[in-house]
Amino acid sequence: MTKTVETIFSLAMPYRENLAIRRTVYQGGNGPRVAVTAGIHGDELEGLYVCHRLAAWLDELQRTSPEALLGQVELYPALNPLGLDTLTRSVPVFDSDLNRSFPGSVQGDLPKRLADAAMGALEGCSLVVDIHASNIYLREIPQVRINSEFSDTLVPLAEQANLDLIWIHGAATVLEATIAHSLNSRGVPCLVVEMGVGMRLTPEYSDQLTLGLLHLWQEVGVLAPEVVLPALTHHPLVADDSNVHYLNAQTSGMFVPAAAHWTDVRRGELLGTIVSPFHGETLSEVRSPVDGVLFTLREYPLVYEGSLMARVMARKGGA
Amino acid sequence: MKRDLLLMTAPVRDSFDIPCHEIGPKTSHPAAAFVAGLHGDELNGIFILARLADFLNNVEAGRHPGLTLKRKVLIIPAVNVLGVNLRSRTWPFDKSDMNRMFPGSLSGETTQRIAVAVLEATKKAEYRVDLHTAGSDFEELPQVRLYSPTDAQRKTACYFGLQAIMERNLSPVFTTTLMYAWQVWPGQSFLLRVGQGGTVQLGHCQQVFRGLVAFLGRVGILDGVSLVEGDDEPCLFRQGSSKRLYAGRAGTFVSDRQVGRWVSKGQELGYIYDSFGGQIIDKVVAPVSGLLTGIRRHPLLFEGDLLLRINPKN
Repeated sequence: MTKTVETIFSLAMPYRENLAIRRTVYQGGNGPRVAVTAGIHGDELEGLYVCHRLAAWLDELQRTSPEALLGQVELYPALNPLGLDTLTRSVPVFDSDLNRSFPGSVQGDLPKRLADAAMGALEGCSLVVDIHASNIYLREIPQVRINSEFSDTLVPLAEQANLDLIWIHGAATVLEATIAHSLNSRGVPCLVVEMGVGMRLTPEYSDQLTLGLLHLWQEVGVLAPEVVLPALTHHPLVADDSNVHYLNAQTSGMFVPAAAHWTDVRRGELLGTIVSPFHGETLSEVRSPVDGVLFTLREYPLVYEGSLMARVMARKGGA
Repeated sequence: MKRDLLLMTAPVRDSFDIPCHEIGPKTSHPAAAFVAGLHGDELNGIFILARLADFLNNVEAGRHPGLTLKRKVLIIPAVNVLGVNLRSRTWPFDKSDMNRMFPGSLSGETTQRIAVAVLEATKKAEYRVDLHTAGSDFEELPQVRLYSPTDAQRKTACYFGLQAIMERNLSPVFTTTLMYAWQVWPGQSFLLRVGQGGTVQLGHCQQVFRGLVAFLGRVGILDGVSLVEGDDEPCLFRQGSSKRLYAGRAGTFVSDRQVGRWVSKGQELGYIYDSFGGQIIDKVVAPVSGLLTGIRRHPLLFEGDLLLRINPKN
């Protein structure tokens, strides 16, 4: 078992500096390759910490039982290094969303070249997990999002990821220029994890996902069956377009939550209010449309008319 | 006449609207709809449409004898109103691209609601035109962009009288744009790309303004326009005919070349300097002969950035 840090893409910037995308590679036997990608959006940090936790676990494995790594693990914690280093969601200068630039191209806009480099590096992997941290506006429970087009392959994998929700999206609502859609279209299974909130770490979510990833790696044959892992602690609910309810702001103002994230709520229960800093009265009350789980909750207080404040998932089968 | 496309509240500021001009006979649908400023920093299009509205309002007021507006025209100079005021390409609150929100949703995010209002107001027009510029680091020759067009669209595209018509394939990335949303409706849609973002380029604006007036004349919406035919036949460049040159070196790029000029293979078009050391590290040379349809304007180059685009004569 060896560990190397490799550069998969490098180019010169206008004034002396270099832009490089690096990955950490743990090479064991000739078994399957798996990868974790993170930091596509420069304001989403949860995945970076998961990469650190995984690296710590693999470092320990290298010390104790290196023969247990049957294949290869690749960690790509920072696909948008300029964005991460400058607190910018998009690719700085180019002002484009890297996760709308896939599968990319060899020439052209820099984000497209970054995307192309990532696609090339990930080709041949048996499983890629792309970790996102929502954005600065919304807090999310640990979940996998799956395009229904690929659900036959991906749902059985997602069920073992130790997460709390699998959300299956209809094909029409899926963005095709994402890394996940591009990889899945080329036959590289890719799970998209969303958890936590932008610009923050939620270490308990990261630990939860780290355990799930180790189980998945054992399942696909990267880790030897003899490796003893703690049992999974979370089992996912399933959501799709039929049981997810969106609560968008009726008016603009300041959203003040009244319910805690990731709790069971009753139909008609107050989830929050919209108020104005200029006036004492409440402008709008936000109430749950159904009995269900409050799985998305607004973190950033100011809202415009239409801003998403919460999502509630009705439990399927009345459970 | 000014009309509010929609009125919206803001968290702490006054409520705001997205205004449009409705000019000409009071019919239910406009014959032509013009939209600009989906990106708040694309000032050429905003300026052109505001000037067009002023011109057509003057026609309506009888200040241009001999010209008559036969059918209704709708003009939205800027959709991203706050973006214009804050010099932001995107919707400033959540940095979303308003031209990736179509067809929109009445119950969705703010920008999706705005998208619905724009689409509803424009989709039944016979002729629909969306004006854009390049980003603020590139300059585009004023041109008509067509996406997987029909021959009828190719013909109508010539009515603008612009030097270049460029064809592109519709890519899946663009399914959430206004152009894409328009295409499912009867009628013809055109995208104009005019110059560079972040500035008003008077020459380009005057040329496209004249082009829009000529267009309205040729399709019979504006009566009495004197049209000069035949002196500048537009060049139609099919998908794949563009030759792009990318920067072999990072550094500082300088060029005094103008878009819309014909260049010869081997001609020097600019230089790349080492930004730290100051010496010339690369000469930029035309790889083919043709029309210079786009050139980089921001001097700072990442390795591999697009420098220019040349379209060889058909």
